[in-house]
Amino acid sequence: MPARWLIRRLLLVSYTVLVVSLLVFGITQVLPADAAVALLGENATPEALAAIRLRLGLNDPAWLQYLHWLGAALGGDFGTSMRTGQSVAPMMLVALSRSLLLAGFALVLMLCIAVPLGIWAALRQGKAADMVSGMISYVGVSLPEFVTATLLVICFADRLQWLPATGYIPPGEDFAGSMIRLVLPVVTVSLMMIAHVARMVRSEMIDVLHTDYIRAARLKGLSGQRVLLRHALPNALLPVITIVALDVGYLLGGIIVVEEIFAIPGIGRQLIIAINTRDLPAIQAGAMIMALTYAVANTIADMAYAALDRRIRYE
Amino acid sequence: MSAVLTVENYTLDYRTGWGLRRALDAVSLSIAPGEVLGLVGESGSGKSSLAWAITRSLPTNAMEAGALRLGAEDLRTASPQQLGAIRGRRIGMVFQDPSTSLNPTIRLGEQVIEVLMRHRGLDRTAASAAAEAALADVELRDPAALMRRFPHEASGGEKQRVVIATVFACDPELILFDEPTTALDVITGARILDLFGRLRARTGVAALYISHDLGLVSRVADRVAVLERGVVVEQGVPADVFRTPAHSYTRVLVAAVPRPGHRLVEDTPPATTLLTATSISVRYARKRLFRPAPPAATHAVDFDIRRGEIFGIVGESGSGKSSLARALTGLAPFTGAIDLDGRRIAAMDRPYRRAVQIVFQHPDASLNPRMRIADILSRPLRLYGGDSAEVPRVLEEVRLPASYASKFPHQLSGGEKQRVAIARAFAAKPALVICDEITAALDVSVQAQVIELLLALRRAHGTAYLFITHDLNLVRQIAHRIAVMQEGVIVETRDAADLASPDAHPYTAALLAASPAPIG
Repeated sequence: MPARWLIRRLLLVSYTVLVVSLLVFGITQVLPADAAVALLGENATPEALAAIRLRLGLNDPAWLQYLHWLGAALGGDFGTSMRTGQSVAPMMLVALSRSLLLAGFALVLMLCIAVPLGIWAALRQGKAADMVSGMISYVGVSLPEFVTATLLVICFADRLQWLPATGYIPPGEDFAGSMIRLVLPVVTVSLMMIAHVARMVRSEMIDVLHTDYIRAARLKGLSGQRVLLRHALPNALLPVITIVALDVGYLLGGIIVVEEIFAIPGIGRQLIIAINTRDLPAIQAGAMIMALTYAVANTIADMAYAALDRRIRYE
Repeated sequence: MSAVLTVENYTLDYRTGWGLRRALDAVSLSIAPGEVLGLVGESGSGKSSLAWAITRSLPTNAMEAGALRLGAEDLRTASPQQLGAIRGRRIGMVFQDPSTSLNPTIRLGEQVIEVLMRHRGLDRTAASAAAEAALADVELRDPAALMRRFPHEASGGEKQRVVIATVFACDPELILFDEPTTALDVITGARILDLFGRLRARTGVAALYISHDLGLVSRVADRVAVLERGVVVEQGVPADVFRTPAHSYTRVLVAAVPRPGHRLVEDTPPATTLLTATSISVRYARKRLFRPAPPAATHAVDFDIRRGEIFGIVGESGSGKSSLARALTGLAPFTGAIDLDGRRIAAMDRPYRRAVQIVFQHPDASLNPRMRIADILSRPLRLYGGDSAEVPRVLEEVRLPASYASKFPHQLSGGEKQRVAIARAFAAKPALVICDEITAALDVSVQAQVIELLLALRRAHGTAYLFITHDLNLVRQIAHRIAVMQEGVIVETRDAADLASPDAHPYTAALLAASPAPIG
């Protein structure tokens, strides 16, 4: 992978993040939240409000405020939370690490189920097994996370009492307890994507199985297993990488809901708390971190695609 | 000696939504050891179905009757295990297009090695050495380096050689060739055929050579079978079958093959110049900062076309023929000058666009699938001062019934669609029609009809043609002058009659030598 291509990709990511920063800052500007009022409370005197506005630079023109904010953000300083008085960035990063744990497990689980399911459906194209898996997939796609989460909680936590319903324990404290509490959230998040990715693997696989090179591989007398795993699968999975990367956006959205339902103090839950309490620095930091995660995930996917598909020219 | 392949009274039907569709009807063929049997027929004749049947890769809706035997072994009752041992080991297959029959994500070397490991029981090291030797056998330079490359890093000719090396690596009894040179350039294709000849002499392999190109088949095959809609209508030695065809279908096929000696155009166009192109240079892709400019598709090409003349441009793919056509119609940006009737064309204006029309290679891509034929033809009519009422007349000119006006393109055959495209060009009453490989996608008998139509239209309207093709035999039949293009440059322009003269450019001579010899 040429260094120039990588550099160009990274520049693109920076550009994306810059645009997002403008949007985020712009939106927080028009929010009906006055930072000074939020800090001092409803009963503050006009003099005190004016003083703090001056100190925070709230009277400066918007572009100057933006530059100040961006400069500090580049150094990793998103300001102090109006709710807790603590620095926002470390708080959000800890939350992000919890969310990434959840997202990572969900992605792995999803791939472990979706890829074999897609291959299986492709090999039984048009037969009953394919139809059933297709139907299950569509049900999975059409059920929102809060419905699946509720169903899972009712079934496994309430009725069967196999798993705890909600809560979060850091893996460092009680590893087993931590993992047990992650099961339901991970399953909820991955279910939605399994359906999507399995359908994608299926249709790509069907296309690949009809190509000349698969026909040629069969006519070489290669075993069915080798034709499938060595010749067909890599070609079928290539486009799936892009879909999975796009699904990361989906995943981030799903995580916000799932964290709220299962009371996991991840980035999504922090963001919701920040919005509810009009904690402007926390909203900005949370939104920026989400955007950066999405951009980085897509860049990684592009790199993986380029590494696997030799035909990609680095343009 | 018993036959390598026996096809006995073999009938194949496909179950479709509209009942059974017969693909092969009581076909009987046999191939002796070391013999090459050519199988010719037009698209839809069942050539490929026979190859799928022999390799046992028919779709699930196929219904068969009759016998298929490899040596003494019945192919139809072979188990998947037996088939695995036959395919690649005893029967090899070479597909039409090496860029689709090689796996794009696997290195070329690995694609040879896997066959050797599967069928010759070699371990990876031994297979790798054997693969290198096999690639050297197909006269590839630096096989070791090629083995590390991926298909997209090799040329078409190199890829087809790798496929052939793979097929020959296990010393098969029978090889099926399905149009193995159609996707390649003329010269590359000719070299592949020469290679096959040498390999065949050395290994004594038998082959079924499927092609629509009679000239090619008469060159490689010992015997030939003519297939018409699933029925073998004639079999025999190529020279006999093609020189004295017994069946009417064979006669049609043979008559349709272009023979350069047989001129279809006798008149000489007047010496008045219609269009002059001066230093036409086409360059694709925008200029980018800090990057070298992309190479030009054509470099400063000069030529002129006389009123009513048929001016041929030949060359291999990538030589810049089509770029030139795109420049002349204003579809590609270019530098240089165009004069039409002594008028300098500074910008593509309506009179110029009217006078210079184009017909593309693929009517499927150039006719809007959502428009009726009448709408397709009304557009140029209305644009250039005609009337939609003229649609029946325009259709009649290209010998299509007026009732076709209400049809959609997909309801027409390939040849009929190309007629519509020609009608659209002529609706503008042009002085020059650019024909960009307009018969390349058509069967040979349909090609002959389309050419005949073009000549009739020229007689009626005095239209000049810029006829772009890779088929030298065809263009030598109809063109007055021929320009030979190589790598974006016209290397020479000659009268069609003395294209083959000894003082021709070496590239022209190479193209001529590579063009399949006409039958007989």
